[in-house]
Amino acid sequence: MSDPVFDCRAAVDHLYDYLDGELTTADADLVRAHLEACAHCFRFFDFEAAFLRFIEARRRGEHASPELRRRILDQLLSEGDPPAP
Amino acid sequence: MATDATRADFEREALPHLDTVYRVALRLSGDSTRADDLTQETMLKAFRAWPTFREGTNARAWLLTILRNQFINEYRRDRSRGPTVDVMEMEGYTVFKDVQEADPEGRFFDQIVDERVLEAIDALPEEFREAVVLSDLEGLSYAEIAEVVGVPVGTIKSRLYRGRQALQKTLFNHAVEMGYIRGRSR
Repeated sequence: MSDPVFDCRAAVDHLYDYLDGELTTADADLVRAHLEACAHCFRFFDFEAAFLRFIEARRRGEHASPELRRRILDQLLSEGDPPAP
Repeated sequence: MATDATRADFEREALPHLDTVYRVALRLSGDSTRADDLTQETMLKAFRAWPTFREGTNARAWLLTILRNQFINEYRRDRSRGPTVDVMEMEGYTVFKDVQEADPEGRFFDQIVDERVLEAIDALPEEFREAVVLSDLEGLSYAEIAEVVGVPVGTIKSRLYRGRQALQKTLFNHAVEMGYIRGRSR
């Protein structure tokens, strides 16, 4: 990101990299500086962050059943040693 | 019989990811019986290949790679589920434009029940669903997802962008239908 003009377009291009924590510190600083200066982008990023938090909150809903866990452990017990590489 | 040491090792490194493998299998296959079978096959395959596993390898990404190959080889031929969302429409669209006046903080999302969220994820075309599930439901990094799926990070980013926007649109439409939020009059 060598462009000195870090505008809305540039910020929005990095929307998810930024929210997912995938940017370098320097690039994240550029996005953050833009968000501090641009209320519209700030609101947009805020909305997207709320959406990601909402999806993440559905993260731990389902589990392998105890029967499946048991089935797998039983199978491992009856398996021979894996061949050496 | 496997030696106790090998099994103990496998149980310590691989088994903690059993729920992750199951959940991803469930979202990929859309069927709990298939997900059970896929999970069992994946864990068995991983156990048999365990001697090739090196300390420092990302066990979760490795297991998910096995799972994905298993799914592609055995189950994907039988395509009973058609995607219902057009992801290609998503370029340049954001739900935010529709809600910025009424609900800029996206509070309407919180009224949507879990089941509808999972249905909306399941309605995404497979490659987008896969990216969203691995990232947003399981918390993998872009690099880990790229490793599991076997495509460049840039491709994952683009699939995540379009998948998330499509998911948002489905959930927004649902929220409008349910009266959680007013649709924008056009």
